[in-house]
Amino acid sequence: MRARATIAALAVSLPAAAITRQHLGPPVPAQVRRIVTLAPSLSEIVLALGAGDRLVGVTRFDDDPRVAKLPRVGGYNDPEPETVLGLHPDLILAQPAPENRGPVETLARLGVPVEAFALDDLKQIQDVIVQIGTLLGLGERGQALRADLVTQRARMRVKAEGGPHPRVLLVFGLDPLVVAGSAGFAGELLRDVGAVNAASDSDRPFPRLSVEAAVRAQPDVVVVCGFDPPAGRAVIPGLPRVRVERLRSTALLHPGPRLVEGLDDLFVAVHGKRAP
Amino acid sequence: MNRSATVRAAIAFLALLPIVVIAVVVGLSLGAGELSLGNALRGIEPDATVLFRLRVPRVILAAIVGAGLSVAGVALQALLRNPLADPFVFGLSGGAAIGAAVSVAASGTVLGAASVSFAGWVGVLPTQLAAVVGALAAALLVFTLGRTRGRLHPERALLVGVVFNSFASALVIALEAVLAPEKTQAVLLWLAGTLGYEPGPVLIAAAVVVFAAALILTALAGRLNLLALGDEGAAALGVDVEWTRLISFFAASAAVGAAVALTGLVGFVGLVVPHAVRLVAGPDHRVVLPASALGGAAFLVLADAIARLLFRGLGTEPPVGAVTALLGAPLFVLLLRRRT
Repeated sequence: MRARATIAALAVSLPAAAITRQHLGPPVPAQVRRIVTLAPSLSEIVLALGAGDRLVGVTRFDDDPRVAKLPRVGGYNDPEPETVLGLHPDLILAQPAPENRGPVETLARLGVPVEAFALDDLKQIQDVIVQIGTLLGLGERGQALRADLVTQRARMRVKAEGGPHPRVLLVFGLDPLVVAGSAGFAGELLRDVGAVNAASDSDRPFPRLSVEAAVRAQPDVVVVCGFDPPAGRAVIPGLPRVRVERLRSTALLHPGPRLVEGLDDLFVAVHGKRAP
Repeated sequence: MNRSATVRAAIAFLALLPIVVIAVVVGLSLGAGELSLGNALRGIEPDATVLFRLRVPRVILAAIVGAGLSVAGVALQALLRNPLADPFVFGLSGGAAIGAAVSVAASGTVLGAASVSFAGWVGVLPTQLAAVVGALAAALLVFTLGRTRGRLHPERALLVGVVFNSFASALVIALEAVLAPEKTQAVLLWLAGTLGYEPGPVLIAAAVVVFAAALILTALAGRLNLLALGDEGAAALGVDVEWTRLISFFAASAAVGAAVALTGLVGFVGLVVPHAVRLVAGPDHRVVLPASALGGAAFLVLADAIARLLFRGLGTEPPVGAVTALLGAPLFVLLLRRRT
């Protein structure tokens, strides 16, 4: 359930997130030793870079077992400046959103360097991995992680090339009905696994859809991510017979290195088998 | 029912029935895309599914809820002798909100799992069940606190209801601070009042509850008329004031409970429709009650059609409660100015 919040936060923050990277406060020191992250994806990027030992605080939504013992500093929308300051970070990694702007700017004013990164589409996500690597003096590792994601995506596209190409509705929430649109990383990954996005009319990353629009989209498969479909009821009223698949993990809700795993999950859900 | 009341009721029905029919036709023909009736009748998809599985049940739901909220509004305005009374005045909205918020917060816990299985057994969603339980508990609380020495004091009950609703919204806001963002969104959407898609048996059950409530209230209409004279005046004319209050209170609460369970808090219907009907049909409850049921049904069906049409290009729709408030607030002011 926690992971679903990522998408809810993303859906809220996306329209305002025209800025892809923003620096606030004093310059980032050459040697970053104490990092606080304000989004699980950012923690996962730091972990994947092999710098997990430098993390000193994460959000209450972080569910990676490697950060289970770390202090929690609030959520993406409501980081607690007092708790963050108490951890004496020399770098804060944040995701820009209208809701967290106040506390994040306060932290920068109080003398902590802040780097804010948008994680809306795959190009941004791939770039952010490299940029955080560079900030931490792990540029090569960052390049390698980026290459891994790029390679996996290319591999998936080749596997999916021969078809079939089912119409898929990728659903992140039911109240309201939030789906993957054509923009945004989830829509891009759908294309990578050879699916036709049934909600491709919408050029927003995570549009809210009316049930009638969902029925009109005539999906072959409804893939739900991050929640259990309601028992005893059609996931989408009016589509009682459509194939419903639940993603094996919530990796797809983590725009970062875990998208490699998310891509596998998505392939299995869409095609009913692992990528050969 | 004397002759003039019968005649006025007949006129009101004749005037309102075509409006209901028009509302239903509009409600069935407007939505997230063009619908071909011919295709739908011939079973061609997606038109058939859109018409028969989505729009028909939704128009029926809107009609049931609109009728239920309107008759409850009439009854509570009469009961409390207060034109500003609406269906949620007895703390019903606050109680329902607490119930819904707690149920959303509890999802994923043992309590949540238990309520899911129980609600599934009843055939509704856990949030709906929790909202009804919360609403009825709040109504009982307010009803009890509004009584002294075995008598209900309308002003007292009204004040307790208002204060309870404020208390409840504070509690819900406090609860939202610890909810994950997507859960908060679900609660907010529900609080705004949303028409969804309910399975047939649920619709039938709700229709039975609302119809029974409307029938009971209409049967009590003569007594409700006399309550306008004040408790003593009504009692002097042979009305058992306490009994009338109790029965109509529970009938109204049952109708509101059904509405709240299915749609959350759809505001203004129970306020605007009764006043509009009184303006046309006069204050006689024998006419106002059934006419409000029809008027409420038409109003909510139309408001829902507008909701579906409003952001149609984006493939999404606002909650119907937002539309009823946007329509209802100016309409209410207009009615007030006409009356004075």
